[in-house]
Amino acid sequence: MSDPRKLPQVLYIEDSDESRSLVRRLLADKYVVLEAANPLDGLQLAEETQPNLILLDHDLPQMSGSEVATRLKKMLPRTPIVIISGDTSNGARERALAAGAVGFILKPIDDSFADLVDEYLQGKVEKLEHAEKYLQAYQQELVERLEGKIRQLSSALEKNKHLLQQNGRMFAMLERRHRLLETAARVGQMVTSILDMDDLLRHTVNIICGEFNFYYSGIFLISDDRKWAILRAGYAEAGRKMMAENYRLAVDEKSMIGRAILDEQPQIALDAVGEESRFKNPFLPDTRSEMALPLIVDSIPLGALTVQSNQLNAFSEDDITSLQAMAEQVAIAINNAQLMNKLESANAEILRTKTYEAIATATGEAIHWVGNKAAPIPGSVQRVREDVRYLLALVAQVNASALKNAALESAVQKVREEAEALGIDLKAVLAEMSAMKPYRLQALVSVESLMEDLDIAENSAKTILDIKEGLIGPARQRSDAAVSLSEMISNTVANMGLPDDVVSMTWSDDMPLAQVDARQVEQVFNNLIKNAWEAMSQTFEPKIFVDGRRDVDPNFVLVTVKDNGPGIPKEIQEKIWVSFFTTKGGKGGTGLGLSAVMQIVQQHGGKIWLESDSGHGAKFYVRLPAVK
Amino acid sequence: MTTVLLVDDEKLIQRSLEKTLLRAGFDVLTASDCTAGRDMFSQNSGTVDIAVLDLNMPGFDGVPKNDAGFDLLDELKKQKSDLPVIILTAYDEVNKAKDAVSKGANAFFVKGREQGLVELVQKILSANN
Repeated sequence: MSDPRKLPQVLYIEDSDESRSLVRRLLADKYVVLEAANPLDGLQLAEETQPNLILLDHDLPQMSGSEVATRLKKMLPRTPIVIISGDTSNGARERALAAGAVGFILKPIDDSFADLVDEYLQGKVEKLEHAEKYLQAYQQELVERLEGKIRQLSSALEKNKHLLQQNGRMFAMLERRHRLLETAARVGQMVTSILDMDDLLRHTVNIICGEFNFYYSGIFLISDDRKWAILRAGYAEAGRKMMAENYRLAVDEKSMIGRAILDEQPQIALDAVGEESRFKNPFLPDTRSEMALPLIVDSIPLGALTVQSNQLNAFSEDDITSLQAMAEQVAIAINNAQLMNKLESANAEILRTKTYEAIATATGEAIHWVGNKAAPIPGSVQRVREDVRYLLALVAQVNASALKNAALESAVQKVREEAEALGIDLKAVLAEMSAMKPYRLQALVSVESLMEDLDIAENSAKTILDIKEGLIGPARQRSDAAVSLSEMISNTVANMGLPDDVVSMTWSDDMPLAQVDARQVEQVFNNLIKNAWEAMSQTFEPKIFVDGRRDVDPNFVLVTVKDNGPGIPKEIQEKIWVSFFTTKGGKGGTGLGLSAVMQIVQQHGGKIWLESDSGHGAKFYVRLPAVK
Repeated sequence: MTTVLLVDDEKLIQRSLEKTLLRAGFDVLTASDCTAGRDMFSQNSGTVDIAVLDLNMPGFDGVPKNDAGFDLLDELKKQKSDLPVIILTAYDEVNKAKDAVSKGANAFFVKGREQGLVELVQKILSANN
């Protein structure tokens, strides 16, 4: 075999593997065969290797053999190019030669091929008759091909534009999907925090219509007997009208809402008008697409959400996914709200019972208290009446003329006349008195007793009237100011006139001023200290300890009033705050003290509470706002 | 002379009833709580003909108590089982007053028309004689 480095190089550009392997076999002995499967690779290889001869298939991808020949000719003007073609038509050879080839070999190639190649390598150049004609035709062909290329390019451009549009749509869709998911998440977050049912449902339909741009949305909840889906919220005017008419649908197969609830599956109608079976809602005549999503929690349907659009095919897959996600959130929120409602009504029930109990207690105590306070009045009045009769009987006996005063005379006369007119027989009264034993007469005709009875009646009435202060006191207009409680309480205690060693007070250095109405708060501590003192009437060495400091919550002052009296039994610790409840019996309490105290403290935004064990004294805690 | 022991913690009521009873011709001993009532009775046990006891007043421990009058009733009955006793009540405590009778009181009296108490005392004492 010859040294390959010295053999001539032949480049063969051909897309068919079989043709290349055939040529390789035919030429391998005498030439180095370089191969390229397409024109572009071929052109590059030609430039790199500068071969001695180029063989070129005529039917190539990307560009025609003639075109490749022209380019090769320009690139390597001295390298002979031979076109190999199956084209037997008239002028094929000429066109090839016009394109710049030195020869034209018709396929199929045979054993003579190697010799033909050798000839061209030796410098054989085929002659082209009427070269101008073929050149012109060839140029024509080039122009046509160019035009074809331009058409291809434009169509590619067109295609690009289309792709761009498609991308744009895709992008918009992604954006919408993103927004829907965001909205669904936001709705989910928001609705699960709304515990008021009506609020929750109204918000939900508003958001669905506002954010997703649908023209109607409504929420139905199942009735207690589970036979009806009752509209509980509806969007805009149509919703308002339907709500006003107590719009409801039977839970059956006839409506999408009914089916959604029964089957626990979303119902979607993208062409609502086209569906004959669809229930037509007179309030929503423009509906073209409609969906009903069941609201389910723990496999129990609570109701359904309807979303309606005035467009056909209004719901994309994304819409449906987002709305379903939202429906799930809304269902959970509805369930929460329902649980909350149940809890609230249970609480309200307890509160009502407690309130009635408190009112009954307060009323009972009030009746008892007023009755008790009024009890001595009739007795006193009765005695005063008797006393006055006796005294008048005596007055009637006055020798009027001895008074030596006309006005006084006529006054005595008037007593006699008026008594007679009122049916009081003063003579008979006098006779009754005359018959009495002397000590009894002395007991009955007593100015001191008369005055005492008037006092009894007056004091009883006064005590009853004092309730007014207890009731109205806390309601008075407050005028809050910075008050030093230590100073105020010290003064209060000083004015109460308690024995010297009873009350001891400690004030911490950091105790802030209180922002309170001085007059009302003075009443609070006056009451507490007085109560403590009165509770200790049987206590050996009674002591009251008052302590003031900054509360744990630095915005408050905490004052405690503690005694070492008998304490307050557990069973009445709640009752002591009730109006008219009193343990003091006769010792003058109105039973309004602690109820007024609590009212005052609460109105200041403070708090009062009690710690007491029977037998171990009582300790009242009063927390009042500190000056800011 | 008939002597009445009157125990009531409410000063004005106590004084008013005392005066009414005095005027009716009774001697009246007064006290304001269970302990004082018992002591007053012990010191004058020979002379007290009838006791009039309030229902709600400080008990033997000095702490105000709803049915303290019953405790004093028991205590006095221990000392003198045939002592006539009238329990005083507010007018809305009639049910409790009826309990009083079952606990050994001769009668109950609803505070208010004091002359009624005088009549009740007279009726009980004359029935006993």
